[in-house]
Amino acid sequence: MDLGLSPRQEMFRDMVRDFAEKEVAPRAAAVDAEARFPAQTIRMMGELGLMGVAIPEEYGGAGGDMICYVIAIEEISRACASTGVIMSINNSMVCDLIHKFGDERQKRRFLIPLARGEQLGCFCLSEPDAGSDSGNLRVTATAEGDHFVLNGVKNFITNGREADIAIVFATVDRQLKHKGISALVVEKGTPGFQVLKEENKLGIRGSSTCQLLFEQCRVPRENLLGEIGEGFRIAMVSLDGGRIGIAAQAVGIARAALEASLQYARGRVQFGRPIAAFQAIQFLLADMAIRIDAARLLTYRAASLRDGGVPCTRESSMAKLSASEAAMWVTTKAIQIYGGYGYITDYPVERHFRDAKVTEIYEGTSEIQRLVIAGHLLG
Amino acid sequence: MRIVVCVKQIIDPELPASQFRIDASSNRQRPNGHPLVISPYDENALEVALRLKEKVGGTVAVVSAGEPSAISALRKGLAMGADEAALISDPALDGSDAFGLAAALARGIQKLGIPDLVLCGCESGDWADRTVGPILAEALNIPCVSFVAQVDGEDGRLRMRRVVEEGYEVWEGAPPLLLTILSHESNIPRYPKVKDIMTASRRSIPTWSAADLGVEAGDIGKAAIRTEVQQLTLPSRESRCELMDGEPAQQVTTLITKLRERKAI
Amino acid sequence: MPGIFVFGTIENGIPSRSTLELLTGAQRLAAGLQEGVSVGLLGPGDGASLYRYGVEAVYRANDPLVKEYQADLYLLALQRIAQAAGAKVLLLPGDSLGRDLAARLAFRLKAGVVTDVIEIDIEGPEKMPRFTRPVYGGKAAAVIVPKRFPVVVTLKPRTFDPAGPMGQGKGKEVPVEISLDPAQARTRMAERVQEETTGVKLEDAPAVVSGGRGLGGPEGFTLLVELARVLKGAVGASRAATDAGWVPSSMQVGQTGKTVSPDLYIAVGISGATQHVAGISGAKTIVAINADPEAPIFKVAHLGIVGDYKAILPPLIAKCRELMGS
Repeated sequence: MDLGLSPRQEMFRDMVRDFAEKEVAPRAAAVDAEARFPAQTIRMMGELGLMGVAIPEEYGGAGGDMICYVIAIEEISRACASTGVIMSINNSMVCDLIHKFGDERQKRRFLIPLARGEQLGCFCLSEPDAGSDSGNLRVTATAEGDHFVLNGVKNFITNGREADIAIVFATVDRQLKHKGISALVVEKGTPGFQVLKEENKLGIRGSSTCQLLFEQCRVPRENLLGEIGEGFRIAMVSLDGGRIGIAAQAVGIARAALEASLQYARGRVQFGRPIAAFQAIQFLLADMAIRIDAARLLTYRAASLRDGGVPCTRESSMAKLSASEAAMWVTTKAIQIYGGYGYITDYPVERHFRDAKVTEIYEGTSEIQRLVIAGHLLG
Repeated sequence: MRIVVCVKQIIDPELPASQFRIDASSNRQRPNGHPLVISPYDENALEVALRLKEKVGGTVAVVSAGEPSAISALRKGLAMGADEAALISDPALDGSDAFGLAAALARGIQKLGIPDLVLCGCESGDWADRTVGPILAEALNIPCVSFVAQVDGEDGRLRMRRVVEEGYEVWEGAPPLLLTILSHESNIPRYPKVKDIMTASRRSIPTWSAADLGVEAGDIGKAAIRTEVQQLTLPSRESRCELMDGEPAQQVTTLITKLRERKAI
Repeated sequence: MPGIFVFGTIENGIPSRSTLELLTGAQRLAAGLQEGVSVGLLGPGDGASLYRYGVEAVYRANDPLVKEYQADLYLLALQRIAQAAGAKVLLLPGDSLGRDLAARLAFRLKAGVVTDVIEIDIEGPEKMPRFTRPVYGGKAAAVIVPKRFPVVVTLKPRTFDPAGPMGQGKGKEVPVEISLDPAQARTRMAERVQEETTGVKLEDAPAVVSGGRGLGGPEGFTLLVELARVLKGAVGASRAATDAGWVPSSMQVGQTGKTVSPDLYIAVGISGATQHVAGISGAKTIVAINADPEAPIFKVAHLGIVGDYKAILPPLIAKCRELMGS
């Protein structure tokens, strides 16, 4: 079993890393401090093909695989977690979804510009009363001739403000519970669709997290993805891929924190020696490295299975859970290694810590991931 | 226009000094698994070639004389937009100096067919001798202009902006020419697109030995060197930076005091 | 025949600064190897001013075609003069001319070449000349010995002190016949543009204030110009700033820009890439002002301020102005 990267994947990684170091990292502190969407960076990433990494070239994508995708998310997130999540949502939760469940017309019309990075997408499942309980949606889709009319509120939607395309999950009949959920493509600018509010967040402040309002919003029937009632399945299959992306994002954040800690520990002198000479610090660094490597390997495993077309719900949940908890632990310890300086915004580790927290929450909380995994174990 | 770009693969020159180690037996930097990159000015040279090709049409070939690992540097060149690539690699070349390398590169370029332009980086990111380019021009018997920031080509005449101490000069010449390239706002190397990386990874790149190219054995390798590195030393630089504390006004006051102590002002 | 050969220039009747630096190197080699020193001149200029620097012979080629620099013609002339002088070690300046010609001249003379030399010494009873040059962006120094002669050597500008006179000196001028044909010039200069630099020359300035990517744009340089003026110094830039087109490339300090060794070097918004640091290793005091406390420049600087340069420079300029009383 070869755990190394192929020369092609190495070349790909080197390009993304080079781009991340030169274009993404220098802007990261300002993106966070100003809560500013990194529009220029996202545009460059689109031109390079990073907004549709694993989508085939015929649909505007870069023709890569999931391993390349997780490599890219990790490298970008290491530089800037906000840019990482913007990229991950567009790739996994929008492009991949349309690629798997859209018909040819929908792929030509929506997927191509999204994969090329000419347009940005968002994934609208969560509602104020439906977070973990995502089957219990209240946003309704009422059939009216050759349209569906959407009514209701979505919240915590990443890319909500900037997105051109929204994948909206709505129920045609609340009585059917999750079997009533359908997925629709809604274009920004459709009357009755507006951004109600953008949240002020602890971390990933460069990505917008929004509350979206649908009020008598008429969506053409032809924008239905898959079948009526297939929406929940579509969401769950997409989340399998999305969780792999978030796992890679968390690995990137953790890695940034570890690298910063290594550099700091080598340079900071106390009691006449660099603190890297003290076992307490060395033990922390070793533990940080193990958790990151383990999380990365779980992420690669899930990605590899997804590339092979093998169902990977359990593996992607394990990757996401492991990576997000590793990121939280590693970034907390990184601040500890930095001591007082870790608490100060001049230094990057407090931002990594704030960015890491959300990875334990979105795309399925750690609690939900544990339920998924246990569910698979218990059969 | 046909352009050949010579690239060298080196250990990433931007690694922090704390990770820099010397291998005393070879009198070179110890590779230590550090990432290998295309020498930065060679990338500028490649970018110049690609932009010229976009402007006036033609082909760009990228060539390297070095270790087998240099294949990945050539692949990146293809991914950036070069049309063909070739590696010159042979144990007989080990230990060659600039004259030996230039002899091998000259043969390789002759095998590709002498182009309109041969481009090299103005200096390599590791050794920075600035010799291979000009010597290669001599070996190919073509004129050479060094430290060029920009090139324009029209109607068979090339115009080059050569950077000098006080400013720049504009030189003209007819192809074939060899230019050594300096970085400039007009030649910031592009990032290869993902789909081009995928395509380039599937291309096969020929490797030519010294024998394949008909390089004279007496011109290459350790036996032919004209100068020798006797020793590589690390200059001792013990510098602990003193940071000024407080608000800007306080920082400035303290700084001035320290500068006066050091007689810097 | 004197075997140490310097390619020199005469400016306003006296040897140029770079020629004097080369003569320091030549004197060291001449003493160690027990050889004489000769100088090659192209074009007009009074060679007699060289004799007091221990120069035994001035080989002059005065063809109208070498009045203006042209690489092919200069190479042919230099090759001819070097052969006439029987040179063993040929010293050229490590400037734009040396970059163009040194290696090519070595090829034609079937000589070795060593560039950017910062130190010369003579080793052992065999009297082997050793040339030290910076490598890996200045992270290491390589000691190079020639395995054959002649050898062409370029000296890094502003590293060797200009030679002092060694007494009255006697020498002779040897005219060298070169027959150049304009058709041998395969390139021609169409234009020369001098980039505007007012005030002190960068390489000569006792204080240099440089700006980099951290300035955010060309406007940032306004504060630096003011500070440099107060310090009676010059303004420089990192490659990031010149590559971005914010300032002319003649202001670049670094590996492929200028090497400076001022008493005071202030790096503002410069991260401290190897490439840049290679150009300031001779600075006596290095001050870094940067918003990123982890920027590599702080590993090289003696004094540092972590902060926004827009908040730091105005009080610094004011305090310096007070001090300098200007």
